[in-house]
Amino acid sequence: MIRKKIPRRQIILGLAVCVLTLLILTFYLRHLTETARLGLVQRDLDIRLSRLRDEVKALEAKKAALLSLSRVEKVAREDLHMAEPQPGQIIYEGGGESNK
Amino acid sequence: MRSALKEPPAKKVNARIRILLAGLLAWAVLLAGRLVQLQVFGHAAAQAEVLEQSRSKSDIFPERGTIFDRTGQILARSIPARSLFLTPVKGESAEAQRSKVRALNKALGLGEEETRRLLVRIRQAEPFLYLRRKVSPETAAAVESLKLPGVHSHPDTMRFYPNGPLAAHILGGVGIDDTGLAGVEYSYNQPLQGKKGQAIILKDARRREYYFETLAAALPGKDIALTIDATLQYIAERELAKAVEASQANWGTVIVSHPGSGEILAMASSPTYNPNAFSSAGADVQFNRAIQLTYEPGSTFKIVTASAALAHHAVGLRETFDCSRDDLGFPGKPIRDHKPFGILTFPEVVIHSSNRGMAQVGRRVGQASLYDMAAAFGFGRKSGIDLAGEAAGRLQPLSAWSRRTLPALSTGYEVATTPLQVLQAINAVANRGALIPPRIVNNIFDPAQPLKRRPPTVALQVLPPEIAITMAGILEEAVEEGTGRQARLDGYRIAGKTGTTQKWDPVLKAYSERKHIASFVGFAPADNPVLSVIVVLDEPKGTATYGGDVAAPVFREIVRKALLKLGIFPVTAPAKGLITASVWNEARR
Repeated sequence: MIRKKIPRRQIILGLAVCVLTLLILTFYLRHLTETARLGLVQRDLDIRLSRLRDEVKALEAKKAALLSLSRVEKVAREDLHMAEPQPGQIIYEGGGESNK
Repeated sequence: MRSALKEPPAKKVNARIRILLAGLLAWAVLLAGRLVQLQVFGHAAAQAEVLEQSRSKSDIFPERGTIFDRTGQILARSIPARSLFLTPVKGESAEAQRSKVRALNKALGLGEEETRRLLVRIRQAEPFLYLRRKVSPETAAAVESLKLPGVHSHPDTMRFYPNGPLAAHILGGVGIDDTGLAGVEYSYNQPLQGKKGQAIILKDARRREYYFETLAAALPGKDIALTIDATLQYIAERELAKAVEASQANWGTVIVSHPGSGEILAMASSPTYNPNAFSSAGADVQFNRAIQLTYEPGSTFKIVTASAALAHHAVGLRETFDCSRDDLGFPGKPIRDHKPFGILTFPEVVIHSSNRGMAQVGRRVGQASLYDMAAAFGFGRKSGIDLAGEAAGRLQPLSAWSRRTLPALSTGYEVATTPLQVLQAINAVANRGALIPPRIVNNIFDPAQPLKRRPPTVALQVLPPEIAITMAGILEEAVEEGTGRQARLDGYRIAGKTGTTQKWDPVLKAYSERKHIASFVGFAPADNPVLSVIVVLDEPKGTATYGGDVAAPVFREIVRKALLKLGIFPVTAPAKGLITASVWNEARR
C-alpha cells in the first residue's frame, strides 16, 4: 500500500483551520454562556429593582401615614402637651407692607 | 436426499417468518392507525391537553395609580400585599385539618365563626379557597413560615389611604378587586386602574413552573393630582367635626374652593368614614352631602334674588321696603322675619336677611327674570364636577309655579339645591359675575403624553361685573353689620350670607318650627377673593340654631386658618389681643 505523503503545508493549513474553528466555537460558546449569564444577572437585578421600587412606594405611603396631620396633632397634643394659641399669643411673621 | 430432507423445515421457517411479519405488519398498521387517530383526527384535543398540562396563561394585574393632593402629598396608593389561599392536600386526615385551622386561627385571628366555616370548606376539598385577601407581606411571611400543607400566597396589591378618614368622601374607596366604588376612585377608575397584561407559565411533568414569559406587559394606572389641599382639607374636617359635636347636628358639610378657577380645595362631610375599611362603612356615612344632598337653601338664595333685582334694574340701591307689614298680598301664610324690621333699604334687606323685604324684591323682579337668573347661576342642573353621584337639585319650571312660588323662591324655598350649587353661585359673585364650573381633579399624569395639559375652563358671564361688585359690597356689609357678624375676622375683609331654613315636616305637611338647616356661604378677602367657603349644618340643637350663630363661626375659623396657611395675613391692624410682626429678611434687601 502506497501512502500518499501529505504536504507539510497542507497539514499546517488543516491544523490552522481546526484551531481556528475551535477558537470560533469556543468564542461562540463563551459568548452564549456569557450572554445567558448576563441575562440571568439582569433578570435578578430587574426583580431586585422591582422589589426596591415596591419597597420605596410602601415606605413613601408609610411616611405619608406618619406625617398625616391627624397623627401630628395627636402627638403634639398628647405627647408634647401643645395647645392652641390664644389670640394674644399669635405673632404674624413675614407679613406684607400693611403689617408694618 | 439431503436436499429433500432439508426443504420442509426451511419452508416451515419461511412460513413462520411470513406469519410473524404479517403479525408485525398488522400491529404496525394498527399502531399507525391509532397514531393517525390520535395525532391527526384528535390533534386539537391532544394539543389542548398537552398545553393544559405543560403551560398556563396568567393575568398580570396592573398597579393602580396614586392619588395626590395639589401639593404632591399622597392621598391613596396601592402598596404590595399578598393574598393567602388554600389548596386541598391529598390524604390529609381530619385531625391534621383541624390542627391546620387552629394554627391559622392563631396566626390570623380568624374568629370562631370563620374558623368553623373554613374547616367545613377544607373538608369539602374545594380546589381553591382564599384564606385572606390583601394581607401585609409580613403577615403572609409569618403564616408561610408555619409551613402548613396546602397554604400558599400570591402577590397582590392593597389600596392604602395613609391619612385615614381625610378626604374620604372625595377619594371614595375600592372593592376587594381594586375597582373604584365611590368618589374619585370610581369617577376616574379607568385611568387609575391601567390595563391588564398576560404571561405564559411553562410547567414540567410534575407541573412545577420552570419558565415565565410576559406576553403582554401590564399597563400601570395613571397617577392623579387633585385640586384638594390636604392641610385645608384637614382644617375643614376638624372644624366641621367640632361644630357638629358642639351643636349636636345630625350632619354637616363644608366646601372650600378657589372662586377664580373653580378648584375645590377641601370638601368635608360629617359623619365620615375610613376609606381603608370602605366595605364596612355604611351607606349613610359614605354619602357625600356636599354634592349628593339637596336641601332648600333659605336665605343664602337671596344672593340670586338680589342679583336678579340689580341686573334687571328692578330696584334701586336707595329704594326702601316696608318690612313691618305681614300682609304683603301673597297667598297662604304671612311671611315672617326672624326679628321685627321697619323700613329697610334694598341693601339692608339683604344685610339683615329680611324675608318680607326680599319677597317684595322678588315681586319686582318677576317670575321669568327670577327663574332665568336662578337657571343662569346653575340651579336645577348638575354643576359638572368630576365626582360621581352629583345631584342636580330642582328648579321648578315656570309652568309648575303656584302663586306662592315667587315669594318662596325669593327667600330660598321651593328650590332644591346642593351645597356645591350655592357655593358656585357665590363664586360667580366673587368672580365678578363669571360662573366657573367646579372641578376636583387637577391633572392626570399620562407617561405617554407628558406634555398634554388640561384645557382651560370656560367661564359663563351670568352677571355684569359692576353688579357682581355691588353684590360683593352688600355681602361684605352683611358680615360687618348684618346677620353674618359672627363670620367677621379681624384684619380681613369678608363677604357672605347666612341661611336658616325651616325643614319640611312630611308628617305635619308644613315647615317645622324647630328643625332647621343652618348655613353660611362667603368668600375672603372680599376685594380679591382667594377662598370661598360654604358651611351647612342639619338640625343644630340648643339655643343657637340660626346660620349666623352656628355656621358663621365655623366659616370664620376655617377662613382664619386657611388664609394663614396660604400666607395671606391681616391687611388691617387686628383688634385687641393680636400682635403682628413683620420680619424683614436681610437676604431680601
